[in-house]
Amino acid sequence: MAVMAASLLITSGFLYEYYSKSQENQLKEELDFAAEMVEKEGVEFLESLNFSLCRFTLVSPDGSVLYDSMADLDEMDNHTDREEIAEALKTGRGSSKRYSATLTQRTVYEAVRLENGGVLRASVNQATVGTLILNLFPAITGIVLVSVALALFLSHKMSKSIVKPFNEIDLENPEKNETYDELAPMLEKISTQHRQISVQMLELKRRTDEFEKITGSMNEGLVLLDKNGNVLSMNTAAEKLFCVDDTIKGCSFLSVDRSVNVTRAVEKALQGKRSNLTETRNGREYRFIVSCNEYEGTTAGAVILCIDVTETAFAERNRREFTANVSHELKTPLQSIIGSAELLENGLVEPEDTNRFIGNIKNEAVRLVNMIEEIIRLSRLDEGSCPPAGRVNLYAVAADTVESLKVLAEKKRVRIFLDGERDCFITGVKSYLQEIIYNLCDNAIRYNKEGGEVKVALKKDKEKIVLSVSDTGIGIPAEHRNRIFERFYRVDKSHSRETGGTGLGLSIVKHAVAYHGGTLTLDSEENKGTVITVCFHNAPEIQKQ
Amino acid sequence: MIMRSRFDEQLSLLNKKMIEMGAECENVINLSVNALLRGDAGQAKMVEAQGQTIDRLEREIESICLKLLLQQQPVAKDLRIISAALKMITDMERIGDQAEDIADIISHLDGRTGGESRDIPLMAHAAAKMVTDSIDAYVKHDVQLAKALYDYDDVIDNAFRRVKSALISMIAENTADGEYALELLMIAKYFERIGDHAVNIAEWVEFSVTGVHKGD
Repeated sequence: MAVMAASLLITSGFLYEYYSKSQENQLKEELDFAAEMVEKEGVEFLESLNFSLCRFTLVSPDGSVLYDSMADLDEMDNHTDREEIAEALKTGRGSSKRYSATLTQRTVYEAVRLENGGVLRASVNQATVGTLILNLFPAITGIVLVSVALALFLSHKMSKSIVKPFNEIDLENPEKNETYDELAPMLEKISTQHRQISVQMLELKRRTDEFEKITGSMNEGLVLLDKNGNVLSMNTAAEKLFCVDDTIKGCSFLSVDRSVNVTRAVEKALQGKRSNLTETRNGREYRFIVSCNEYEGTTAGAVILCIDVTETAFAERNRREFTANVSHELKTPLQSIIGSAELLENGLVEPEDTNRFIGNIKNEAVRLVNMIEEIIRLSRLDEGSCPPAGRVNLYAVAADTVESLKVLAEKKRVRIFLDGERDCFITGVKSYLQEIIYNLCDNAIRYNKEGGEVKVALKKDKEKIVLSVSDTGIGIPAEHRNRIFERFYRVDKSHSRETGGTGLGLSIVKHAVAYHGGTLTLDSEENKGTVITVCFHNAPEIQKQ
Repeated sequence: MIMRSRFDEQLSLLNKKMIEMGAECENVINLSVNALLRGDAGQAKMVEAQGQTIDRLEREIESICLKLLLQQQPVAKDLRIISAALKMITDMERIGDQAEDIADIISHLDGRTGGESRDIPLMAHAAAKMVTDSIDAYVKHDVQLAKALYDYDDVIDNAFRRVKSALISMIAENTADGEYALELLMIAKYFERIGDHAVNIAEWVEFSVTGVHKGD
């Protein structure tokens, strides 16, 4: 706007200058011509001029007006004091410019001295620059408005047509566009980058899929945290462990698990220190390994690995108990042997008691050997070495075993008998099957009451052979039922000497049954008796443990 | 946008500190419960140190909340969260104090446990569960869990009534146990108060999520 106004002013200024100069020149020429004619024809020439652009005034040498083409002579005073006339009288030519009182008009005067000493003056009225502009203003405004509107319209149209190809560029498929040639290199570049990005995205997706598949199928919980302790990712196992779903991503790990120990471990890990702790969650024991995740020397976050150690911890406890039991069980007979031997050595035993003491030593030694033999048998079963398997008639094995136990049964006044089908063939290892029946019957007799009975029964159908050993003995209290198959486990620890046995019998049974792929069930009622049922499948697979 | 992201940062810091304080509360009450049931004065001593952590966290959270209110002038949900946090920390701090008081009494019990009255262990476990649940409700914005706590408070209140009558008959039977009975009464009262504070927290959780406070 300012530029427009300034240019308007300057242009009109120049125009006015040029216009007024040319008018002045014209005025001079006209004056010269008129002066010549007045010299020739006198004042009549002026009077005969009835049409002229300018006003002529003829002034006598004394200053009085002789003729004026526009004003009344009577009203005109002496003109010698006028600038241009004074100048013309003096130098022969004069000129001046005067503004009217309102400044809206300027009058240009030109005067020339005639030969008779008078002066002829021509004058013309000019509009001033201001008036010019003022007069021009409506027209200029109109033109400006029209041109602005036109410019707006045209530029809008033009820019639209220029931009249209840009807008129509399909950036998804840059190479397929037909547009300005100048854009071609850029589009080509974009298309290459497109291809690169999609390849990288594919690769990235493949890797995340891979990562998720690996972590998803992990049994261990895995949690990745960023350096502010917010969850980046969490596998399925961890989600289950902490009872959250994947909306937790991006939240602080505190909202997943706020246990003070874990929080501290995470803080430590974010400072670069690894820690290891055991915590109980949902009734199971977990080991949390919290370590720092470093990237190019700076801490990028933390990794939490949660391992379910319930079974391991349980096995660990069992193993410790077993070791303690073994040493205890092995030590007891030895202590008794040493005791008896010391008494004998020091001659503290009366001669008639010597045999009893030696008998004691022998009995304890036999017990020890038996126990060691059983441990060896058990460890063989543990190892899973497979002795030759064959078709075995379970009835025949049971009959032999029952026969061999009759002596013991009579001693305890227990009746033992066998009942069932006579041809129960299974594929198995005869010595192991013998162990099973022997140990079950042995227990049934030992833990029986006087005058009780032990029944060994064999049943057969298409799919399986069921061996059951039932007694009318003391039964097993409910709280011990789960544990009697553990090694060295005794329901009543103080009775072990009285009833004999090593505490390994049922453990051997359990392993031997498992070896034959059978199942073992226990049914017992305190003071009424116990039924142990072994179920063999008809086509048993010998299992390697 | 920069203002907003700074605001979010401060809000998440507040959230983090709140959970931390909640976890400390859970920890302190579990410690006192264990100490009480085992008559373990040594464990009771540890409670005091935890109580100081809770006080420190309370002041920290307070200053975060005030800073947020003054500098960010939050509205609507943000304002609810912050004002609820200000209320909740008071309750949490009270829970911590009462757990400390219980621990203090335990050291005067001369190795006797709280297990001699059947309902005291029940109250102890119920109070610990309520604190855990109220913090859980806060962490998960779980209004259902918060509402469940209003009813669960009755379990503690009923147990408190039973404890009172059991203690009266205890004193009647054997006046020598009078002091012990009074100590147990104090402990029971503290557990009852802890239950109430947990309910308060649950109410503020509901307020911060839904904008409706149960007291209204």
